[in-house]
Amino acid sequence: MSTHRSITTTETFPCVRCGLTVTANAPDGTRRNHCPSCLHSRHVLDHAEGGPSECGSRMIPISIAVLRAGDWMLIHRCTRCGELTSNPICGDDNQLILMRMAVRPIAQPPFPLEAFGDL
Amino acid sequence: MPRRRTDQERPQRRKAHHQAPDDAFRCVGCRLDVPAVAPGTAHRNHCPHCLTSLHVDRRIPGDRRAACRGRMAALSVSVRQDGEWLIIHHCQSCGELSANRIAGDDNALALLRIAIRPLYDTRLPVSALLAL
Repeated sequence: MSTHRSITTTETFPCVRCGLTVTANAPDGTRRNHCPSCLHSRHVLDHAEGGPSECGSRMIPISIAVLRAGDWMLIHRCTRCGELTSNPICGDDNQLILMRMAVRPIAQPPFPLEAFGDL
Repeated sequence: MPRRRTDQERPQRRKAHHQAPDDAFRCVGCRLDVPAVAPGTAHRNHCPHCLTSLHVDRRIPGDRRAACRGRMAALSVSVRQDGEWLIIHHCQSCGELSANRIAGDDNALALLRIAIRPLYDTRLPVSALLAL
């Protein structure tokens, strides 16, 4: 019996939106839960009840949250049942889409931002 | 000494209802008394001053089925397709997330602080912007 445990797995999943075949493990060894190219995910875990979810629908990235430690989290919303989840971002996630989501509130403010220049 | 007439009560006006209606609440974060009526929305669910909410709804907004009752802090800001801002609340006792529309009298400075928090980070992916 060998004590060596291989950490290389060839497990993959196809992205539900862009169809990209994605490895299940991220470069840093953690398990992936969203496509690194389009950042979409699938609703397979039920966070309100716990355990697996039978929804299985596409989850859209809607915003970026920043933890106290400075780590970015990706907030997903299920297109079918509206459930929200948050997942940490991966090192190889599409940075253009991440930046676009981070600046979107500033690009579409509900109030004029000129007043904040005086502060 | 005039005797008190106990058989006949003094006619008096009914007291005005001083208590707030059921929908008004006191914020769990800053103890501000918040009225239920809000400009721009029919369902106020967070404090307009500190944006803190309370975990009372489970799946559907307004169902009041959550037994948690934890404090929900504003985590981030999301934008709908029509340009409307949503606050993502994060329950600090059970970790549940919820999205709420902003109201017209929400604290703009508090909203903007949450919105620019990703850009304030020094580790932001500048390389993505430089590649454009």
